[in-house]
Amino acid sequence: MQFLRQLFAILRLNLSGLTQRVGSSLTILVGVTCAVGVLVSMLAMGEGARQQELATVRPDRVSLSTTGSRFGQGSITRDEAAVIPGLPGVRKDAKGDPIVTLESVVIIEGRRRVTGNRIYFPLVGVTSNISELAPEIHFTAGKMFQPGLHELVANNSCTRQFTGFEIGDRRPLRGGDWTIVGHFDQGKAQQCTVLADVQTIMTAFSRNTYSRVVVMLKSAADYDLFRDAVSANPALHIEVQHEKDAIEDAFKPLNGILNFVSLFVGTIMAIGATLGAVNSLYAIVDSRRREIATLRAIGFSASAVVVSVLLESILLAVPGALLGSLVAWLLFNGLAASPFGFSFQLSVTASLAVLGVEWALAMGLMGGLLPALRAARMPISTALRAT
Amino acid sequence: MKYLPLIWSGIWRKPGRTILIFLQVSVAFALFGVLQGMKTGVEHVVGKTRADLLLVHGNLSLMDPLPLGLFEQIQSVPGVRVVAPVELFLGTYQNLSDKIGIVAVRPDEGWLSAFTYDVPAAAAAAFAANRTGTLVRKELAAKYGWKVGDRIPLKTTAAKTDGSTDWAFDVVGTYGDDDVGGGNNVILVNFDYYDQGRLMGKGTVSHFNVSVVDPKRAAAVSDAIDRRFANSSHETRTESLRELAQSQMQSIGDLNFLIRAIVGAVLVALLFATATMMMQSIRERTSELAVLKTLGFTDRAVFLFILTESAVIFVAAAAFGLLLALLAFPLAAKFIPGLSMPLEVVALGLGCAAVVALISASVPAIQAARLNIVNALASR
Repeated sequence: MQFLRQLFAILRLNLSGLTQRVGSSLTILVGVTCAVGVLVSMLAMGEGARQQELATVRPDRVSLSTTGSRFGQGSITRDEAAVIPGLPGVRKDAKGDPIVTLESVVIIEGRRRVTGNRIYFPLVGVTSNISELAPEIHFTAGKMFQPGLHELVANNSCTRQFTGFEIGDRRPLRGGDWTIVGHFDQGKAQQCTVLADVQTIMTAFSRNTYSRVVVMLKSAADYDLFRDAVSANPALHIEVQHEKDAIEDAFKPLNGILNFVSLFVGTIMAIGATLGAVNSLYAIVDSRRREIATLRAIGFSASAVVVSVLLESILLAVPGALLGSLVAWLLFNGLAASPFGFSFQLSVTASLAVLGVEWALAMGLMGGLLPALRAARMPISTALRAT
Repeated sequence: MKYLPLIWSGIWRKPGRTILIFLQVSVAFALFGVLQGMKTGVEHVVGKTRADLLLVHGNLSLMDPLPLGLFEQIQSVPGVRVVAPVELFLGTYQNLSDKIGIVAVRPDEGWLSAFTYDVPAAAAAAFAANRTGTLVRKELAAKYGWKVGDRIPLKTTAAKTDGSTDWAFDVVGTYGDDDVGGGNNVILVNFDYYDQGRLMGKGTVSHFNVSVVDPKRAAAVSDAIDRRFANSSHETRTESLRELAQSQMQSIGDLNFLIRAIVGAVLVALLFATATMMMQSIRERTSELAVLKTLGFTDRAVFLFILTESAVIFVAAAAFGLLLALLAFPLAAKFIPGLSMPLEVVALGLGCAAVVALISASVPAIQAARLNIVNALASR
């Protein structure tokens, strides 16, 4: 109790003196603001990418691909594809047909609307029951493609980012011109995706295997049943994955790079801010030598002095972290980025701000430790005589 | 010059504080070096790629295959020197997550002029003579310890006529490559051997490499090739290696804004920290400065002392930080092959350091210059 009373008394004294030491206090604040601001904005990149990757994931959808192949680059034969709808656990639509979509992916080149830069997007051939499989698809204009015709439907991200995706636009692909006949929204997805009839695509691009098969299960709980049925069938060289796992696997390298860079830069900034805090707190402690010595002389304990310096450091660092997160949010939240050809928006979330505050606490504690010890160890008699 | 000891003792008046400022500035400039180095380094790498080596691919995308039959037609375009069909696929050796790029080429007369590869004459001859032969990139050969005469089994993405995807090649030599794309894990194999053995896609290539007679006319030749196939069933798109590198690196350009913002934040934080430190230091030294003035040093001299002091600490610390960045750079360059730290970034960093030093020290230096001797000594 005694300790707490002393602590609060010193803390009040510290805080009332803040205005006299504006420079040093602001240094800590600004240093932490910059470090946390940078850390949060960098991590917002990874966070935004993850949100975008997993924007349309459903737990009851599974992705099937050739064993050992990369995401969306399998080669599933027609024979294999014919077996899948009969497996247990597959959901049936209103007409009693199993909800299984066969996909064939071709990578196509587009031009940025603003800069004219080249960018690649996937042209995904799908069976026309896609809207059963992906209820998150909503048409906002035009209509669905018709099987057998050279028709394309694009999501609205394409029109926002690239040229040549207005309804009625013709794109010269294999087998002549393909016409855009519809626009759709797909949940929160920002990545440009173009859909067309899978059989027409495979004929035009002379493919005879599917890249991927997507299956809707009766419920997420049927996953094991379905996977066991696939692995028990010797005719299928197919790997079953939850949609979420398949996507996370595919984006592991990108996420790895983003996280590594963020933490690397964030750590360096944090070290810099901590060094700045140490220096400022030393200066603050030095300028208060007489004050601290007087307190010690009238009976305040050394530990109360130590804790008060640490608390002061933290009290300056935490608002810095909040300010930094705020600046990151104002500057970068929603900013579109497409490093390595994958488009997403930076996303500054509350959990990133919390992480920023945790880092700030660490910076404040580490920065305050040495100056606090010096304050407590000061010999009272000499400090009192100091100028 | 004779004032050097004076400035030196000013710097070391409070060693702890100076060392902390030194470290802080070093850390800031280490980060500056790595970030700015990445940005400038990428520009350098793109500038070094060859503008006179053309790549002909389908007009839909880089991954759009073309029929081998276009070979003669491309060959007949005026200005074309050598046309080389190239087929790309992937394989793995033992470690399934470590992908090896397999480049199938035809070792015809003069084929090397259409590539950036540096192949010793003996190895090139052995490669041409051996259908199942492979040339291995030096770095990859060192990684797996492959030697000439070894037979290497690979699991690949390409099925053979018997349905298996396992291919085996005989190492006949190694080669070097200074191009940026593709990475180090690359081997070259014989196109004809591969094309006969594969199940699907026979008679197609990923792209054609083309070398030109006159490097200055590369752009004109590239247009002529695309015109030849306009409105045919296989329209082409011809680009130089440099154009390809540029578009590859464009994606990183999106992050330039972020990099600039970070570098800005680093410098602002630094400016703030050091300006307050210098001010604190001048306050503590009021009486010493007054004594200096009493001895006859002019206001100007005192002003310059303070500025020099901070500039020396800053430039030395920045040099140290940039040195750290130089040492850490290979780590960052892991993501972009061929990247090296450009020296102009070091110059830019030292310049920035001097500017930040002068700005942060100017206010305290003016204070020191304006110091009134009588008041300063009286307040003691």
